[in-house]
Amino acid sequence: MYKATLLPFVLFSLWNLTGLGQGQTQPALDPQTLVQDAIQKQRSGDLAGAIPEYQEFLKLHPEATAIHSNLGAALAGLGRYEEAIAEYKVALKQSPRLPSARLNLALAYYKMGRIPEAAAQLEKVHAQDPSNRQVVIVLGDCYLRMNKNPDVIRVLAPEAKKYPDDLAIAYMLGTAYIRNKQVEPGQVLVDRILRNGDSAEAHLMLGTAKMNIQDFAGARDEFGKAVALDSNLPEAHVLYAQALHLTGDSEQSSKEYKAGLAQDPYNFEANLQLGANAREEHDYERAEQYFRRALETRPGDPGVTYQLALIDADQAKLDPARQKLEALVKEYPEFTEAHVSLSLVYYRLKRPEDGKREREIVQKLTAQAQAKQPGAKQQ
Amino acid sequence: MKLTRRDWIRLASSCGAAQLLVPRLVGQAANGQKSEALFVEVPASASGISWVHENAMSQSRYLPEALGPGCAFLDFDNDGWMDIFLVNSGPSDFWTPTKPILNALYKNNRDGTFTDVTEKAGVGGAYFGMGVAVGDYDNDGWPDIFVTSYGKCILYHNNHDGTFTDVTAKAGVATPGWTTSAVWFDYDNDGKLDLFVCSFVDYSGVKKLECGNNQIGRNYYCVPRVFKPTASFLYHNNGDGTFTEVSKGTAIEQALGKGLGVVATDVNNDGRTDLFVANDTVQNFLFVNRGPGANGRWNWEEIALQAGVGFSDAGRPRSGMGLDAADINGDGWQDLFVANVDHEMFSVYQNNKDETFRDVAQENGVARATQLLSGWGMKYFDYDNDGLVDLFLANGHPDDMIDSYSMHVKYREPLLLFHQGADGKLHDVSADAGPVFHRDFAARGLAVGDFNNDGAVDVLIGLNGGAPILLKNNAAKGNNWLGIKLEGGKANRDAIGAKLTWTAAGKTRSRLKNNGGSYLSSHDPREVLGVGSATKIEQLTIEWPKPSARVDKFTNLEVNRYVGIREGGEISELPGPKR
Repeated sequence: MYKATLLPFVLFSLWNLTGLGQGQTQPALDPQTLVQDAIQKQRSGDLAGAIPEYQEFLKLHPEATAIHSNLGAALAGLGRYEEAIAEYKVALKQSPRLPSARLNLALAYYKMGRIPEAAAQLEKVHAQDPSNRQVVIVLGDCYLRMNKNPDVIRVLAPEAKKYPDDLAIAYMLGTAYIRNKQVEPGQVLVDRILRNGDSAEAHLMLGTAKMNIQDFAGARDEFGKAVALDSNLPEAHVLYAQALHLTGDSEQSSKEYKAGLAQDPYNFEANLQLGANAREEHDYERAEQYFRRALETRPGDPGVTYQLALIDADQAKLDPARQKLEALVKEYPEFTEAHVSLSLVYYRLKRPEDGKREREIVQKLTAQAQAKQPGAKQQ
Repeated sequence: MKLTRRDWIRLASSCGAAQLLVPRLVGQAANGQKSEALFVEVPASASGISWVHENAMSQSRYLPEALGPGCAFLDFDNDGWMDIFLVNSGPSDFWTPTKPILNALYKNNRDGTFTDVTEKAGVGGAYFGMGVAVGDYDNDGWPDIFVTSYGKCILYHNNHDGTFTDVTAKAGVATPGWTTSAVWFDYDNDGKLDLFVCSFVDYSGVKKLECGNNQIGRNYYCVPRVFKPTASFLYHNNGDGTFTEVSKGTAIEQALGKGLGVVATDVNNDGRTDLFVANDTVQNFLFVNRGPGANGRWNWEEIALQAGVGFSDAGRPRSGMGLDAADINGDGWQDLFVANVDHEMFSVYQNNKDETFRDVAQENGVARATQLLSGWGMKYFDYDNDGLVDLFLANGHPDDMIDSYSMHVKYREPLLLFHQGADGKLHDVSADAGPVFHRDFAARGLAVGDFNNDGAVDVLIGLNGGAPILLKNNAAKGNNWLGIKLEGGKANRDAIGAKLTWTAAGKTRSRLKNNGGSYLSSHDPREVLGVGSATKIEQLTIEWPKPSARVDKFTNLEVNRYVGIREGGEISELPGPKR
């Protein structure tokens, strides 16, 4: 599914390049030859050779929107996404409705794990060209990763009707339904996938459903089958890792998380869990690296921000910890664990009154949670 | 090759230092000879202990069924040999036994066997028993027995003739609800033992509560999270055989918990005994004793959160069950331990000497070794008499059906033994500690005591729905020791709160005589001071707790014997190993 989305990096760039000669000024030092050579190199896969020629050309013709886009594609092809993004942005500034540059920008964000930024760009591309199925699929995946399940349903439900045999769409939409507690339509999609035989997607969805009902052992078995059938299936390693963790196999779980990260370095869950493991082992530097990456996928995520605050607290960096925790409890006033840690940090900062105030909040939140338990309702 | 769970735990806790310990502990193994187990199970056929715990497990899975039993070492007849008390379940509002279900008191026959004297002693119980706390509350020199339960507690007064009298009503300690661990200690330093009783959850009216079917379609034991928390109880000893409940208006009453374990210790070295309480699914409590307060109320301050022992380091309450306190690193300050449920890891709290603690479970290898285990009974003690405090853990998952839906967490779990190395860290030596460490149990209570008076502290473990395990300690051979039974005069007779400091072979160590610890259980009141290869104790100092505050000093004490020391300095020989 994701492999197909990578193709546009080159394809869209070349489409734009085709229009380059029509209306561009001829460079004095034979820029035509320069750019044709660059294109040839890019086509043959010599991206490193193409890049300086594009850059040379752009010194002469910085207004060449398509070349900025092509340079972006070459840079992205070498994994130099930050530079690629800069080029795409120049192209879009010059030509805001250039769909290829926007899609390429979105894909660069996507590859960097900057999922919310990718989704924002993809929404614009999708609005311009609603028929582009690849865009819809990647957009749906972004929303799935961001846990924005209603948005997944919004963009993919119409596609599922149009393409009932597309298992990728069925899988993502079904997962979103199940996560969104809409079991019935989710089940319909599971059945659709199952009709196609013993597929990795089907096991992944069944596993997700079992996770939702806390059948962790059942989920673990389903995810294991999914990984065995298709080890490249997105999210499969990470979901398997989660189920393994919940059924007590931490060692194998860690391996699967790492396999998930090898597939997608910006996978949120994998970065979060591996970061937490590293923090438990007091390897704060590695933990922080994982958490920072997780934050790139979900900026401002309270769980990750909390972990970063704990790293500060663990290292006796009490003021940075306090600042993070204060911001967290301000935005999430019912985040009990953050109140616990903030109270502790205040006490360590010799601010007992503030510590006591936070402690009272903890007690209040704990009592509220307890009151919702069935044991309280019975009496 | 199939990797067993034991193998996995050993691999998971792989620690270079632990490997280095193996040749020292089981040196013969390297030469191809059979290594000797550190602890050896004494079978019922040898000990005569035929009692079996009845857990009353029902189809409905009422939670009290899953929590017992506690156990104790005590010398009820004052003959110098440790007897054994075992707590059983009994009638309750959810169960009517079809045959009498009794606690058991076993008298030590001084030859490695025991005789059941329960009936004569009159300590069979009447309720759904949980735990036991032994203490001489009336300072008459004879240990009394307090039994907690789901129902009412019972206080058995020792009649000095092998029998006991139920004095619960007269004493005013019936304590309704669901009580678990209890501890005798002298919080106001008046020389009389007071009593703290942990209260678990409010189970009244919810006994029919079903938490739904589990993944195999059967009722399972509710997670205690669903039940309302309760306040524990503190009884002040009035000195006339009665007690007054004095927690009202104090932090003890205000702190609603789900108490399972308690230890009485002094975390800030101020001479006042504090209380550390392990709670299940809510934060632990550390009640610091601040002395007399206003309006005649005692001043207790609950400081677990700010002390860093209330929650996990990620701010979450854990399922605390067993716990203990001891000065692990020999710095003169009490460190703490809490055994939690699987995936929460156990806590090893090092005292920062400022009423705060730091969890060093990760550094000690305890965190990894306990990741998949649920701990109940446990004790910090020097099992090999080398002078350093070690650790024994008894484990078992509370859900008897967990095996059906968890690959790695089991209902029956292995025992764990940690040895403190010269590096000051606790190393998991279970794999080489003997066959009993390769078996799995539904362990609950754990008591330590030297039942054969050889100076090596043995272990007794209560199993839920099973026969207890008596483990004879073989690990202390070759190391010397002195066993001391302290007898307070002005201080409480059991000398809870006394501090012992001894010097042997130039090394000075100290120990605070805490009380309680473990889970539902009570321990040998004697203190065994391990001195390694030293052949005498050059100096021993005993600081008696207030109101005495007397300091007694002794020099050049012979080792490998038990002695009684009275406040004031009188020493007497007690039964010990044959010479």
